[in-house]
Amino acid sequence: MPEPILLRGGRVVCPVTATDGVLDVHIVDGVVAEVGADLAAAGAREIDCTHAIVAPGWTDLGTELCDPGMCYREDLISGSEAGAAGGFTTLVASPATDPVVDTPAVAADVVARAKTVSGAQVMQSGALTIGLAGERLAEVGLMVEAGCVALADGRRTLADADVLRRVLQYVRPFDVPVLLRPGEPSLEKGGVMHEGAASMHAGLRGIPAAAEELGIARIVALVRATGTRVHLTHVTTASGVARVRAAKADGLPLTAAVPARHLLLNDQAVEASVYDTATRLLPPLRAEADRLACLAAVRDGTLDTITADHVPWTRVEKELEFMHASPGANGLETALGAAWAALEGEAATVVQALAVGPAAVIGRTAQVAVGAPADLVVFHPKREWPVAAPYRSRGGFDPLAGRSLPAAVGLTLVAGEVVYGPRTD
Amino acid sequence: MRRKDLLGLKNMPAEEITEILDTAVGFRAISERRIKKVPTLRGRTVVTFFMENSTRTRLSFDLAAKRLSADTLGFSASSSATNKGETLMDTARNIDAMKPDAIIIRHSAAGSPHMLAKAFPWTVINAGDGINEHPSQALLDMLTMRDHLGDLAGKRVAIVGDVFHSRVARSNIFGLQTMGAEVVVAGPGTMCPPDMAHLGVEVRHRIDDVVEDADVIMMLRIQQERLGAAMMSTNREYSQFYGLDLDRLRLASPETLVMHPGPINRGVEMTPDVADGTQSVILEQVTNGVAIRMALLYLLLGGEPLGEDHA
Repeated sequence: MPEPILLRGGRVVCPVTATDGVLDVHIVDGVVAEVGADLAAAGAREIDCTHAIVAPGWTDLGTELCDPGMCYREDLISGSEAGAAGGFTTLVASPATDPVVDTPAVAADVVARAKTVSGAQVMQSGALTIGLAGERLAEVGLMVEAGCVALADGRRTLADADVLRRVLQYVRPFDVPVLLRPGEPSLEKGGVMHEGAASMHAGLRGIPAAAEELGIARIVALVRATGTRVHLTHVTTASGVARVRAAKADGLPLTAAVPARHLLLNDQAVEASVYDTATRLLPPLRAEADRLACLAAVRDGTLDTITADHVPWTRVEKELEFMHASPGANGLETALGAAWAALEGEAATVVQALAVGPAAVIGRTAQVAVGAPADLVVFHPKREWPVAAPYRSRGGFDPLAGRSLPAAVGLTLVAGEVVYGPRTD
Repeated sequence: MRRKDLLGLKNMPAEEITEILDTAVGFRAISERRIKKVPTLRGRTVVTFFMENSTRTRLSFDLAAKRLSADTLGFSASSSATNKGETLMDTARNIDAMKPDAIIIRHSAAGSPHMLAKAFPWTVINAGDGINEHPSQALLDMLTMRDHLGDLAGKRVAIVGDVFHSRVARSNIFGLQTMGAEVVVAGPGTMCPPDMAHLGVEVRHRIDDVVEDADVIMMLRIQQERLGAAMMSTNREYSQFYGLDLDRLRLASPETLVMHPGPINRGVEMTPDVADGTQSVILEQVTNGVAIRMALLYLLLGGEPLGEDHA
C-alpha cells in the first residue's frame, strides 16, 4: 500500500462535486479519505500544492501504444510514463497493433501486461473487425470477457455502411463504448492536410471538411437506427460540430472528442513550419474557423472530451517528404498545456474535458471526493515549460516542439501512488 | 541576392525577381555566341536530381551549368514510395558526402526541396516540387512577358487549364502578383476550384471569359494520366470549352502573347496554328529558360562577375 499523502493548499477543481476552492486532500490506502480546509494528517507525506491545481487525473480514449508489435515506437511502459507525465491516470489503448487486438488471446496478453506498468493505468480496447479490415466482426464478446473496456475502429474508418450497421447491432448488447473515427476514405485519399486556403498556398493536396462531416452523418444515421452508444474519437471541423450538436439535440447516445492540439493550432502551421512533418496529422489541423468552432463546442459541452491524439512515430517514418511521412504525432505530454493555453486557463472546462468527459465514456467518474480512487493530477497553471526532446514517449515528433506551454504537471497519482513527480521529499 | 536557395516565388520580393530577370538578359547574349561558355562557375559542382520525368527542364539546367563552366552530375530515379529503397534524406546525405555546391531538385512531393535546404549547406534550387512551385519556369515566363510588354505592373495574365495541379501556375501567380500584374484563371470546376481565389486570382470557368482583356494567355498542359477519377471528361469536351484556337485568339488583341510551358498537347490545349502562329512565344520561353537558369546559378553560387573573363 502506498504511504498516505496530504496535498496541502492546492486549488481543488472538481466539476462532478462542483468544487473549486483551496482545499487539502488527504489520501490513505489509495483512496481519497478527506477533502477540506486545514486538514490535520499525522503520518502523511505532505506535498505543498500552493498555487497549483489539484484535479482528477485525465483519461485518454484510443491512445496508440503500439504494443504488441511496434514497440520501437512505443510500448505499454513508455506510453504509460508519457501519459503520467502529461497528467493522465488512465489510457485506453487503441487496438491498432501488430497483431491487431482482435482475439481474446491477444487481448488477455495486453491486459495482463498492462497490470505491470508504473505510470498511467493502461486499459485495452478491442478491434471491432478482424485485422481492423472493416469486413468481418471480431470476437468482441470474448475480448470484453478478456478484459477489454471498449471496442474501437483503431482510426481505420469503417466506411461501408452495411458493415458498420451490423457491427453496431452486434456490439450493442455487450454495452461497452464504441470508439469510432468519423471519416470518408474516398475523400481522404491523397490528401495530406486540410483542404482550404492554406493547402492552396502550400501546394499540397487536401482533405475537405466534408470528409469528416460525411463520416459523422453516416455514424449518426446508424446510431439512430441501432441505438448503440458511440464515441466519436476525432471531431475537428465546424460542420462536424454542427452535426454532433444536432444529433445530441435529438437525444442520440453520442459523445465526441477533439484533439488538444487542434484547439491551439490551425492549418497554417504546415507552411509556417516549412513543411515540418510533425504537422502531418490525421485528421489534419483545420482552418481557423474550425478551430474556433471546436473551442466553442468544448465550452458548451457539444464536444465532451479532449483527447491527446497520441500517435508516436520515429525518424524512420517522419524524416521523409511531407506526403510520404506517416500522419500523427506525440500528444500525451502536451495535451494539458495545449488545452490550457487554448481555453485560456478555464480550469473547470479543462478538467471536465480531459478527465470527467472521457472517464464517463468508459463508465467511470473522475472526481476528487471521499471514497474515490486517488487518481489525481497536480499542475501549475502559470508555470511555462518548453516542449522539446527528449520525450518520455518513444515518439520523437510533436508539432508543438519549440514552443513554451503553460500548465506544467507537478505530480500525478494513480491509486494514491506517485507515478510522476517527486517520489520522495 | 543574398539567399542560399531558390525554393519558390511565394515570398520573393520584387527587387529580387527584377535582379534575376536583369541578370538573365546579360546571359542571353552568351547563348548567341559561337563559344557559348563563360568561366564564371569553373570548378563548382552542380547536381541535377530529378525524381520525376523531365527532359527539357533537366537539359535546360544542365546546359545552364555547363555554359557557366560548372561540373555537372545527373541523378534520376522514379519517385516511387519511400519504403522501397533509399529515402530522399539518405540519397541527399550520400550526395552531400561528395561535396556539391548546388542541387537542382525535381520531386513529386511538395516540400522536398525545403526539407533538403534545411538540412544541408549547399544551394537547393527547386525545379518543381509536386503541385507546389516551379520558380525557374515562372521566372522565364515573366522574362518573356517583360520582353514584349515592358513593365508587368497592371498587365493582365490569363492562365487556362488544370491550374490546381500546376506548379507552373502557382509560381506564376505568386511572381506576377508580386510584380503588380493581375492574374485570372480559367478551367473546369474540378481544376479551378473556388478556393483558388485565396491566392488572390479571379476564377472563371470558360476560356472565352478570359481571352478578351488578356495581355498574356498562358495555356497549361492537361496530363490526363495524372488525374484522378472524374476530374475531366474527354479531350474533345476539354478543347471545346478550354482549348485555344484561332477564332478564340481573335477575341483577344493581336498583341496578346500566347504562352505554354511545354510540352504541348496539340489539338487539346491549343490547335497547331495557334502553337505555330505569330502570337506564340513558346520557343522564346525555352531560350529564356537557359538564360534564367544561368542567372540563378550565377546569383546563388556567387560566381565571378561577368565583366572580365569572357572567352
